[in-house]
Amino acid sequence: MLADIGLISLTIAFLFGLYATIASAYGGWRARTDWVESARNAALLVFPLLTIPVIVIVYSLYKFDFSLAYVYDVSSRAMSPFLRVTALWGGQQGSVLFWAWLMAAFVGIVLLRKWERDRELMPWVTFVAMLTTAFFVGVVLFITNPFVRLWHVPGATELTQAFFQPANAMPYLPEDGNGLNPLLRHFGMIGHPPTTYLGFTGFVIPFAFAIAALITGQSRHDEWIITTRRWTLFAWIFLSIGLVLGGRWAYDVLGWGGFWGWDPVENAMLMPWLTGTAFLHSVMMTEKRGMMKRWNMALIILTYSLSLFGTFITRTGVISSVHAFSKTALGPAFFAFIGLTFLGSLTILYLRWDTLKSEHSLESFISREAAFVLQNMLFVAVTFAVFWGTVFPLLSELVTGTKITVGPPYFQRVTGPLFFVLVLLMGVVPLLTWRKHAARSLGKTIWIPFLASLGMTAIWGFAHRMHPGSIFGLWLVTLTLSLILAEFWKGIQARHATRGENFLSALFNLISRNHRRYGGYIIHLGVVLIAMGVIGDAYFKQETQGTVSQGEVLSVGGYQLEFQKLLAYPGSDGREIVEAVLDLSQNGKPIRTLNPRRDYFVVQEQPVTVPGVYSTPGVDVYAMLVGWDSSGSSATFKIYVNSLINWVWIGGFVMILGTLIATWSNPAQREATYVLKREGLTSQA
Amino acid sequence: MSQLPINELEEPSPPARGRKKIGIIVTFACILALLGLLAWGLRKVQAGPLSTGMAPDFTITDFDGTTVTLSELRGQVVIINFWASWCPPCREEAAYLEATWRKYEGRGVVFVGVDWVDTEKEALAYIDEFDITYLNGPDIGTRIAQDYNIQGVPETFYVAKNGELRGVHIGPLQSPQLDEKIEELLAEQYP
Repeated sequence: MLADIGLISLTIAFLFGLYATIASAYGGWRARTDWVESARNAALLVFPLLTIPVIVIVYSLYKFDFSLAYVYDVSSRAMSPFLRVTALWGGQQGSVLFWAWLMAAFVGIVLLRKWERDRELMPWVTFVAMLTTAFFVGVVLFITNPFVRLWHVPGATELTQAFFQPANAMPYLPEDGNGLNPLLRHFGMIGHPPTTYLGFTGFVIPFAFAIAALITGQSRHDEWIITTRRWTLFAWIFLSIGLVLGGRWAYDVLGWGGFWGWDPVENAMLMPWLTGTAFLHSVMMTEKRGMMKRWNMALIILTYSLSLFGTFITRTGVISSVHAFSKTALGPAFFAFIGLTFLGSLTILYLRWDTLKSEHSLESFISREAAFVLQNMLFVAVTFAVFWGTVFPLLSELVTGTKITVGPPYFQRVTGPLFFVLVLLMGVVPLLTWRKHAARSLGKTIWIPFLASLGMTAIWGFAHRMHPGSIFGLWLVTLTLSLILAEFWKGIQARHATRGENFLSALFNLISRNHRRYGGYIIHLGVVLIAMGVIGDAYFKQETQGTVSQGEVLSVGGYQLEFQKLLAYPGSDGREIVEAVLDLSQNGKPIRTLNPRRDYFVVQEQPVTVPGVYSTPGVDVYAMLVGWDSSGSSATFKIYVNSLINWVWIGGFVMILGTLIATWSNPAQREATYVLKREGLTSQA
Repeated sequence: MSQLPINELEEPSPPARGRKKIGIIVTFACILALLGLLAWGLRKVQAGPLSTGMAPDFTITDFDGTTVTLSELRGQVVIINFWASWCPPCREEAAYLEATWRKYEGRGVVFVGVDWVDTEKEALAYIDEFDITYLNGPDIGTRIAQDYNIQGVPETFYVAKNGELRGVHIGPLQSPQLDEKIEELLAEQYP
């Protein structure tokens, strides 16, 4: 009964979405306000209409309605209520519904808020956003429907899945469900899908505004950029959080001691993040100097298309991956939609190409403009390198008949130097002024941080003499770090000197008077911290493995792990746990006990490795229980000593903080910028 | 006539227009080629990995030069494991695979490691690192992988005594998945 209500509401949402798409396009084309208004009303109803099926699914998960195939697949009686509710995005059908629901919410917010200001753009914004939403709702309805039920046909060995009762079939209500894949029962994997979806769907809004600006010919004015700036930041930070959470999940659950493996699934998410980051910066060029307008358009189209492309390759398995893919019937529909989006938006961009002229040209190669151009080029170059490596196996198989996979070394070698320059630019660019900058004054600003970084590197380098390659990386990180901190210091000192504020309140006022600028610096700070973690992972990782009997010791990187015993006991959520007790000591001095585990989920017949980790800011000792003999007298362990890895997560938090500050807006200030733009008076700050 | 009409000033010069046209053609050609590539990949992948029927026959030469042909192993349970030295999840299952091999060695079970898109040096280092003693050889030209239509590594195929495929495991194996499968296949009657 409830499921029927959900299904009906879903169907109506699809029809409304379709109607809003057609009506807004017609209204926009014929300049018919009544059609546009009607489209808007229909579009606004899609979100509440989709909320009903979402509630129905969540309720069915909570109440164990195993007659629904989706509930049967992803939940079980042994799962806690919290896990059952999050199973909304634990499987494909629920994920796509959740995705469509978030998108409808964003479109609703935009239609409610921005109508008056961008009246000309809105019909086409509605069109683009609703076309996408209707597509996703259609996918939920026709391809991966979460309301499909289980039926039993007498004599058949397998259950049938269908909406309506097939001939001779009896409704089937299983006693218990399969339960969520145990690998996904981790805070990283509970948080990763929603944040990623928020990121991906969030980019629909700037994309829709960009396309609307192109269609209406409003693109030469840059209002769409100001209107969508915070949407872009919002989408970007959620994509960033999604990446960090995914990495954390891989580190905790996948048990290979790392957080990034250059797998196609990971690359699929990294690519839109890279172009999105480039876009965040290139719009500043348009805002401040009226430059890079074509580039912006190309970047937002690329970002949005890449997020669709990412969904496509992760959900269809077109590109071989070391991860196990869920293969589904999504492929052809997504393929057609990506083709339509990419070709359609590029055609519109081509038709409006000549209206997107730069208002200024580069005046000097030592200027913020030049640095922004370089930085954007680098981001696109990294994206291209990642893209090439990702599709290369497919290409080589088509051309030569042999699948050639490029492994992590390719990605590390190609993107490493590009990332290196990007990190350096992050420190240097904020020092440059717009238009031109005297090389001499740049040298003046840089020399103290430069010396400081050399000094710090000397200490780092002395402590880690065995890794000469890393010294360069550490120098880079410390230089950029000191350059950013110097920017803060300059601001604080100026306030201290001119207004007599104490240092703490000077810092506070500095940030609160210029959210965007200092928020941006804090984001950069977060990126530097992540870079530090990556360098630690790349150069200082140590590992060992071996089978030891009780009382024997495994040693790695100055740490000793003594195997004490094995424990076996039943755990929560229907798992059998085998836990090892390892005594960790450093150079003979005892530190603590580590308890790496192997949880065996009986119903799903799936084991999950839970590492025992001793975590400090400098180093993680990460122990995994690989196997054991039946008597429990000996066991096999894999041990990693991961340096600086925690800075990746800390950096993630700092980035979130920075983004919050950067988006924290001052309404009066925003209105003023907008009016300036509207009057054509671009500020030359 | 000292002043030109404004729209004439804005017209791009002929070579610029030509360049633009070439740029457009190249861009769209690239995108269409990419879409074509994806369509081809999509068609291929929708077939999925083999999991039933007779296991495709193959001959593999291991790193020491020993040659083995699948069809000559009738009467024994065969575990075919696709792996690569660059693949982190393969490392995760390597110790378990080797331990299981040692447990069942000489009991009518054969393990065949198929090294997929790899270099010999790294592969040998990997075998050495995990002290792998069962047969391992490179999949030259990815022929075996294509016959089994693998989606990635690691993937493990189970071959019954009569040469039929009895399933495939995608992703790393963990204790006791492989033991259970081997016991099940060993219990089958042959011939």
